[in-house]
Amino acid sequence: MKLIGIVGTNAKQSYNRELLTYMQRHFKAQAELEILELTDVPLFNETADQAKYPIIQTFNDKIAAADGVVIATPEHNHSVPSALKSIIEWLSFNLHPFDGKPIMLVGASYSVQGSSRAQLHLRQILDAPGVNASVMPGSEFLLGRAQTTFDDHGDLKSAGTVAFLDSCFAKFMKFVTLVQAMAVPDAVSYQPGTYDVTAVGHNGNLPMSVTLSKNRIEDIQIDTSTETKGIAEVAFQRIPKAIIDGQTLAVDAISGASMTSHGVIDGVAEAIKAAGANPDDLKKRQAKTNAAPQNITDITTDVVVVGAGGAGLTAAAKVLQSGRNVLVVEKFPAVGGNTVRAGGPMNAADPDWQHQFDAIPGEKHTLTEITQIDEATIAPEYLADFRALKTQIKAYLKENTDQRGYLFDSTLLHRIQTYLGGKRTDLQGHEIYGQYDLVKVLTDHALESVKWLEKIGVEFDKTQVTMPVGAIWRRGHKPMGDQGFAYIKALQKFVTAHGGRILTETPVQSLTTTDGQVDGLIAKGPNDTKVIVHAKAVILASGGFAANTKMLQQYNTYWTAIDDDIKTTNSPAMTGDGIRLGTSVGADLVGMGFSQMMPVSDPETGELFSGLQVPPQNFVMVNQAGKRFVNEYGSRDELTQAAIDNGSLFYLIADDEIKKTAYNTTQAKLDAQVAAGTLYRADTLVDLAKQLQLDPAVLTKTIADYNSYVDAGEDPEFHKNAFDLKVAVAPFYATPRKPATHHTMGGLKIDTHAHVLNADGQVINGLYAAGEVAGGIHAGNRLGGNSLADIFTFGRIAATQALKDELTVTVD
Amino acid sequence: MKLVGLVGTNATTSTNRQLLQYMQQHFAATAQIEIAEIADLPAFNEPESHVAPDSIQALSDQIKAADGVIVATPEYDHSIPAALKSAIEWLSYTTRPLINKPVMIVGASNGALGTSRAQAHLRQILEAPELKALVMPNVEYLLGHSLQAFDDQGNLTDTDKATELANDMTAFLDFVTLTKKITPENKFMEKNQQFSWRQITDGRD
Repeated sequence: MKLIGIVGTNAKQSYNRELLTYMQRHFKAQAELEILELTDVPLFNETADQAKYPIIQTFNDKIAAADGVVIATPEHNHSVPSALKSIIEWLSFNLHPFDGKPIMLVGASYSVQGSSRAQLHLRQILDAPGVNASVMPGSEFLLGRAQTTFDDHGDLKSAGTVAFLDSCFAKFMKFVTLVQAMAVPDAVSYQPGTYDVTAVGHNGNLPMSVTLSKNRIEDIQIDTSTETKGIAEVAFQRIPKAIIDGQTLAVDAISGASMTSHGVIDGVAEAIKAAGANPDDLKKRQAKTNAAPQNITDITTDVVVVGAGGAGLTAAAKVLQSGRNVLVVEKFPAVGGNTVRAGGPMNAADPDWQHQFDAIPGEKHTLTEITQIDEATIAPEYLADFRALKTQIKAYLKENTDQRGYLFDSTLLHRIQTYLGGKRTDLQGHEIYGQYDLVKVLTDHALESVKWLEKIGVEFDKTQVTMPVGAIWRRGHKPMGDQGFAYIKALQKFVTAHGGRILTETPVQSLTTTDGQVDGLIAKGPNDTKVIVHAKAVILASGGFAANTKMLQQYNTYWTAIDDDIKTTNSPAMTGDGIRLGTSVGADLVGMGFSQMMPVSDPETGELFSGLQVPPQNFVMVNQAGKRFVNEYGSRDELTQAAIDNGSLFYLIADDEIKKTAYNTTQAKLDAQVAAGTLYRADTLVDLAKQLQLDPAVLTKTIADYNSYVDAGEDPEFHKNAFDLKVAVAPFYATPRKPATHHTMGGLKIDTHAHVLNADGQVINGLYAAGEVAGGIHAGNRLGGNSLADIFTFGRIAATQALKDELTVTVD
Repeated sequence: MKLVGLVGTNATTSTNRQLLQYMQQHFAATAQIEIAEIADLPAFNEPESHVAPDSIQALSDQIKAADGVIVATPEYDHSIPAALKSAIEWLSYTTRPLINKPVMIVGASNGALGTSRAQAHLRQILEAPELKALVMPNVEYLLGHSLQAFDDQGNLTDTDKATELANDMTAFLDFVTLTKKITPENKFMEKNQQFSWRQITDGRD
């Protein structure tokens, strides 16, 4: 029998150590007792990175492999020493080697108590759910006045004590066998049939049916029709397969879709329970693991792209259009990055198209305000464009003095709004605004990107011009169906159909260089394979770092504070990997201190598209007192700051007509969210107020006032720029919202050709960046709808330039 | 009245810290609560020297200067965190500032039980002869489901729990006053302020 003995103290001198050493010798014939010391175990800290302390893994592995554990504890202050408590905390937090492990307690102390109180505490501690050890009852071995009990050879002097220890140990030997018998999983047998259960999806519950035969899980079907496309499909495919292949519930969650992964596992567990079996037995059943030896994959290609989101797939498609090879490496199991989470509309000024739409109230006012801006506040490089824009606007206003008029737009308005929208001053008084040459490229080529995407296979809904939150102007080109996934679906199809290769689950570890030229990368593929890529150029398109709170906090110079537990609207993949890779080869960073919050996020998940998301002219925001508190047409920063000032949590109020303008949802989703309590619905405003625990009189007055402003076309309270519908038709809805991290404007410094620059402003040969990984464009605040314009425009530019520089291919 | 509020964990975010901050703010009229952290204290390892490291000495001085101590403990594995136990071991092994010091135990946990087992352990620990604290009897403030217990301003949302805490605080202030009367001015003079577990058997304590 193999046992582990733990010396319950880190003191240099210990009678507990002597006792264990004695037991090791004395019971040699019955068991091999290996003694572990606590000397190098750090104090437990739930926020520390356990992986930094190999000693904890050593304890875990040795205990897990042992048949039983003997713990010898001293007593400090009537309890166990902190050192012993600490290792138990480490081994009950992320690791659980004590689970079901037979344990024998012994203890020695100077006093006659012999660790009596400490042992009782230790029993209670080992019974805790995270530890869940099987501590042998009875046979309490207390060695009091330990300093008098050992002879010079370290043997116990008293024959009576030895005899008692012998009897305790003999009992423990039997106890180990007994506990091991308990741990053998029961043979699983199901009541055959198909069980209808639910899986928790991204947008609520999904119907799932599980078919069981007498001894097997035969089939798992999930209806994902109400799910946001692109985010969690991989979980819905792989988790059922893993469960069926291994006939186990001990399957690993898919990174980036852990909630849906667990949702599926829990749903199958529910079916198993309904079929009369114990799901815990299947959770204990280990799937066969294929510990493949490390393989090396060596790939040579023309261009390698890091990240399979919108920017990366665009660059890949562009390379393929020139007949060159491309490889895309993506650290997550699914493609799509953050783009699949985007609402869909991308900004591009397309006046000929926009002129078909009528102007809406407030828009002329916004234009007039632009003409009134003091030129002294405009940066010199933008001044010529600003003056030209003023001329355009004045001509438009003159032309439409007596009529409602059409929707005005121009490349210049897009450029100046991007500039004005991005202008911010941080807490240290540093002003930032979008770099002129980059903003010019973005606004000049955005429409070209729309047309290019149409050729790739993206279909846009020409019947409506939309404005996402924080966009300032209606110039959104909205793809048909599936929101942001519409782009990814078309791009992915194009890339794979044209011979592009996409490696998922392959995080890049480092870039390789030869004489200062970036010429490839090293990544880690699935099953620990090492992937070595040789390429003429590397395009970083790996997104920002909104899902890396530590990095946000480290660089932040804009927000007064970023909470440790702040939620994000982003994919969890957005951890700044490309920024790390870029700086490792000398790239300069720009604007890193500025991050954007999405004020209208789900308070629990950070999710953007839960509840009712409508165009901002139909937003009615009320605080926890039931009052409006902000111009709902304001920038994201204004909305975020106002929300923070009002206790973060607020509500979007909508009626049945406003509901119809929502671009994110279906009636079935809404019903599910109301049922789940994440969305509120009532037939009267009074009832709605009661559900929200607001004063009904206050909310009713707020809405009555708002409706009167819509009628008057003017909001004397908060000066909302544009209105559309009143809140009048039952049923009424309230969507709870809170700010969450949304976009990181800072990143790698690039030039207009998407070359990554070093601190001296020189091009790093072979390295390009596109999308959120790059900085300089959006500066202090990104306009809604501009990130899609950015990724598709600079994604194309990066590929075009890489082809030109490194492969002497000229693209139109 | 001057009190020390000891945060019983080294975790970065803690509802026990929030609880002490709430008490600090709400009972400011009757007591000045200084919040003390244990996150940066070294791990206790029973060194040969009984001299307190600087950070322990600082904590000890803070406790010594106070009229009483409030300990807010989480519950890890049915007991107090190793980090809190380690801080207590240092104090018991070196400067022993808790002798005859009135102590109130409170605790917050995300589970329903609100640190009931950890508080029982802590009570027993503080009553050990090496520590000799005067733990206030018959008050047990358990804050369960603590992640939902506070609003964004850090106030307790459950008014019953807020009232209970106010009553316990009043009782503790009375307890501090009372214990001052019954403990002699020079208190119980330790012959040897330094302690080792060996001494218990040698009858020196």
